[in-house]
Amino acid sequence: MSESSPSFLERHQFLIYRLFSLAGLIPVGAFLAVHLLTNASILAGDDGRTFQSRVDMIHSLGPLLVPIEWAFIFLPMLFHAAVGFVIIANGLPNVGSYAYVGNVRYTLQRATGMIAFAFIVWHIMQLHWLGKPFGGGRFDPHHAASTAATALQPILVSILYCIGILSTVFHFSNGLWTLGITWGLWTSPAAMRRANVVSIVVGLGLAAAGLGALGGFRSLDVPKARAAEVWTEKQKRALAVPGGAVAPAPIPATTH
Amino acid sequence: MIKAADSAADLVHGAGDHASEGAVVRVRVLRQDVAGGESYWERFEVPYEPNMNVISVLQKIAAQARSQDGRKVAPVAWDCNCLEEVCGSCTMLINGRTRMACSALVDRLQAEDGDEIELRPMSKFPVVRDLVVDRRRLFRGLEKVKAWVPVEGSYDLGPGPRISPEEQEDAYPLSECMSCGCCLEACPQYTKVEAVRRDGESEADFEKRRKAAFDAGFVGAHAISQAVLFNAHPTGRMIADERMEALTRQGGIQMCGNAQNCVAVCPKRIPLTRSIARAGRAATIWALKRLFDR
Repeated sequence: MSESSPSFLERHQFLIYRLFSLAGLIPVGAFLAVHLLTNASILAGDDGRTFQSRVDMIHSLGPLLVPIEWAFIFLPMLFHAAVGFVIIANGLPNVGSYAYVGNVRYTLQRATGMIAFAFIVWHIMQLHWLGKPFGGGRFDPHHAASTAATALQPILVSILYCIGILSTVFHFSNGLWTLGITWGLWTSPAAMRRANVVSIVVGLGLAAAGLGALGGFRSLDVPKARAAEVWTEKQKRALAVPGGAVAPAPIPATTH
Repeated sequence: MIKAADSAADLVHGAGDHASEGAVVRVRVLRQDVAGGESYWERFEVPYEPNMNVISVLQKIAAQARSQDGRKVAPVAWDCNCLEEVCGSCTMLINGRTRMACSALVDRLQAEDGDEIELRPMSKFPVVRDLVVDRRRLFRGLEKVKAWVPVEGSYDLGPGPRISPEEQEDAYPLSECMSCGCCLEACPQYTKVEAVRRDGESEADFEKRRKAAFDAGFVGAHAISQAVLFNAHPTGRMIADERMEALTRQGGIQMCGNAQNCVAVCPKRIPLTRSIARAGRAATIWALKRLFDR
């Protein structure tokens, strides 16, 4: 009988749910933190030079970048999302009857998870080269700041990014708190309250980094950033540094 | 003396405006005549008395067996026993929230939620009739995690190990669980499982299929907390691994979504989320042991 033999997923439910929980922190959550903090370097006020150098550092991985991206970002994220949708489908939110803070967070965690998933798929299609066949892929790592800023210019795009960033950050920081309960890191109500404060601080910090970066890209002087990138690109070519691994110390463009 | 008697009489008869002649309590009950049947609303009116609780309202409804519009109807069926919030049998949805009917006072309900009182059966268990539900799955959860101390034997095992006052203090709140099912009713992860017997299916086959259906769903906060209680007990601990195995099977502790409604609605104020987190920690350690020690 089919109903008496549980499926692979059912037999390994504990392991799968724990891996799902872990994946939300490492590598997906860790990537989110690095990603938002990298983007926040656009706020350095140097026409995107710092941001470009951070991007160059990431892209210095060269041909390794693609497998690393898939192994540590895309696949864990898809796994987390797939299990997440199963969890959402099996739950029955009841915040209307029981409007407790924890229950509101439970419901928001699921709502922001779905928003974050939709946002991230769109975000990748819009900026990552994977989106090129679909008319996206507008981010050019050699002209990092200017292409990102141009893509984020439309007000509707900025609003959607604002919602997407806040949803993702809430999902991560709230998930950080529940992960600690799931794994048994904080067990007493007092410990949960302390961990909650830490999670809120992490969330506010990441929200500030994410929204700050968005604001930084929006207020970027695109022609000036473009000029800085072209100059950096020329320097890299002249020195024939592959992938811009070791960029020379920047010389102010005004001396030319 | 006379004065005191007067004031006692005042207490009984003078509890607000309701005491005036002809005051009534209006109730809306979600009824269902048979298991698996259609449910329907019926309204009742019973004379008001001071200090009524929902049980006494239901007793009056049973006594008059008439709906608000005067039709003769079957009395509303409900479960209750101790009438002092320790047996856990009278759980129902009162004004949309899970709680014990015996400790739901009419005066407070009317002050908080308005005049009419709404009664519904618990939504996470199959209805047997009216407000009576089949809570077999709740007890299956306790059975699954072996929520007992194994002392069965053919000879006297002698006195058990001593338990320190600190351990007793820690365990006592968990032992107050009365299997009322409020934590399950309020849990967004605990969803209704209603197995229906098929044509020609034997009782034993149906029982087996129902058990499997119960076990596939979330075991629930009550069972997790009882597993923690008995794994903390020096004799109960002897089958700790069996409980951990049960808690990490399908429908185990991993199904908890951390909404924390369980602890918020528990009438005994049992620290259920502490139990869940402790069980989570134990499950982490147990899983790592299984991975590396085998």
